[in-house]
Amino acid sequence: MTALDSASLDSAPQIDRTAPTTAQAAWRAFNLQLALYKHVWHGTVFTSVLLPILYMVSIGIGVGAYIDSSSVGGLTYAEFIAPGLICSVAVMMLGNDMVFPVFGGYADWGGHYLAQRATPLRPVDMLNGHLAYAAVFRPFTNCTIVAVVLAFFGVYTTSWWAAFAVIAAALVSASLAPWLHFWASSLKNDANLNMIFRFAIMPISLFSGVFFPASEMPGFLQPLVWASPLWHGTELARAATADVAPALPPLVHIAYLAALAVAGWFAARWRIQKHLNF
Amino acid sequence: MPNDNEILVRAGDLRKSYGEHEAVRGVDFEIRRGEAFGFLGANGAGKSTTMRMIGCVSQPTGGELEVFGRDPHTQGAEIRARLGVVPQDNTLDGMLTVFENLVVYAGYFGIKKKVAKAKAAELLEFVQLSSRAKDQVNELSGGMQRRLAIARSLINEPELVILDEPTTGLDPQARHLVWERLFQLKQRGVSILLTTHYMDEAEQLCDRLVVMDEGRIIASGSPRELIDTHVTKEVVELRFGPAHTTELAELALTLNGIGAQIEALPDKILVYTNDADDTNAALEARDIRPTSTLARRATLEDVFLRLTGRALVEDEA
Repeated sequence: MTALDSASLDSAPQIDRTAPTTAQAAWRAFNLQLALYKHVWHGTVFTSVLLPILYMVSIGIGVGAYIDSSSVGGLTYAEFIAPGLICSVAVMMLGNDMVFPVFGGYADWGGHYLAQRATPLRPVDMLNGHLAYAAVFRPFTNCTIVAVVLAFFGVYTTSWWAAFAVIAAALVSASLAPWLHFWASSLKNDANLNMIFRFAIMPISLFSGVFFPASEMPGFLQPLVWASPLWHGTELARAATADVAPALPPLVHIAYLAALAVAGWFAARWRIQKHLNF
Repeated sequence: MPNDNEILVRAGDLRKSYGEHEAVRGVDFEIRRGEAFGFLGANGAGKSTTMRMIGCVSQPTGGELEVFGRDPHTQGAEIRARLGVVPQDNTLDGMLTVFENLVVYAGYFGIKKKVAKAKAAELLEFVQLSSRAKDQVNELSGGMQRRLAIARSLINEPELVILDEPTTGLDPQARHLVWERLFQLKQRGVSILLTTHYMDEAEQLCDRLVVMDEGRIIASGSPRELIDTHVTKEVVELRFGPAHTTELAELALTLNGIGAQIEALPDKILVYTNDADDTNAALEARDIRPTSTLARRATLEDVFLRLTGRALVEDEA
């Protein structure tokens, strides 16, 4: 007896023939990302465990030995960079999760969006599933690991409040992930995929007040700082781990990140729908 | 109980345009439950576009389309829940194993993991890939990937399986294995819709088919009906050494009156006839001596040539 016996084909008792709800469909699409993650999770050990240790030892402690704590708000240098590192890891992970895997979703070497298109999933479900993985699952798992690793360096002055740094990192992910999805969905060929690392991820990492106070940047670069989601996230995270008042009221930082996330979601939804309705 | 005469797909004056280009120019057809229905045509004829509209991944720009009595525009997800699709380029996930590809895909249909695993194992047995279950898809040959794509399309026990050129690019052995599996599905009452530009594939698998050319249906019926209606019983193929295109066209003029119709191709002349022996005798009587002569029964390829005046392979560049 196989699943293909005529009786089984006629009755199909276990198969749901109705359209899934938005939440069900996103969960189904998310499961693909989870299945893929099971194959590559060991690679994330580097990003989540070794990378923060290396940063802490080389920059936090090594470079920190030469830095006067008065220049970084009275904190030790390690305390100053720790919250930014947690948020930076979130941005780095997006580079892995939302560039090649999105572009590949439409390509013949990946094609998972094209495969999902033949199922009850709608383009917006594929987007939501991918975002749930990249902007929720990944920051809340990997950034938590980073935060725990950093705790061993004694870089938190606020004890359990430090956990909110992970939420700030997740907000940074949520604000950037849909825009990366939009961008990777708009590309015609893979030759330009690496541009996002050179012209977005790298500058964002450098100009967001992770390694030095953003106020030290020249005035003409300040708009770049204000625009950077990582700066807003780092300000929030630093308030959580070191009890430093953020540059703007916390709600303003949160509102900015949330507005970017919502606008990005609409843009990404428009793009994936256009791409998959041939 | 399913009704055998139930119409699964109904299209009326169905159209699809991409800007100025009209890919499908008003086609009408019905596909009934339990039948194997084929779209035959050269590349660019509009058959894949039509399939995509039936598969609810492409919106028609004109006419009417109903799948399972539903509107693809508003009920696409419900329709796709009842379809199985084997796309031209497989779209398997190369990073996942063979088994995972099936289980993850089953999840898109809301099939519980335990059920999905059992079905995946049974389907791998059906397509003879059980021994490769733990291998990554990238390690499979083209024929194996095709069989896996077929297995994947069956995971939701579809009422209609759509196959877009199921054996294109496969070696003859792999083609025959795919045909055998599709034939088994057909015998089990699964409705099949396929596009192909292989005439032998259409003849073997399809109960009924339509021939498409430049976005229109130019003929429809069973393979036998199409042959009986549009061409003679037999065809005599004549080759004249190195002679080709222009020379053959001139030679074809000297054959006037022999057989029912003469068709000059780039490498040979076809004489459509109801009696190959009579035709050969007539050639001898006119002292026309080809370097080789082949008498065979007429096929769907001849139907296509007769209807469009060109070979399918011409458009494959």
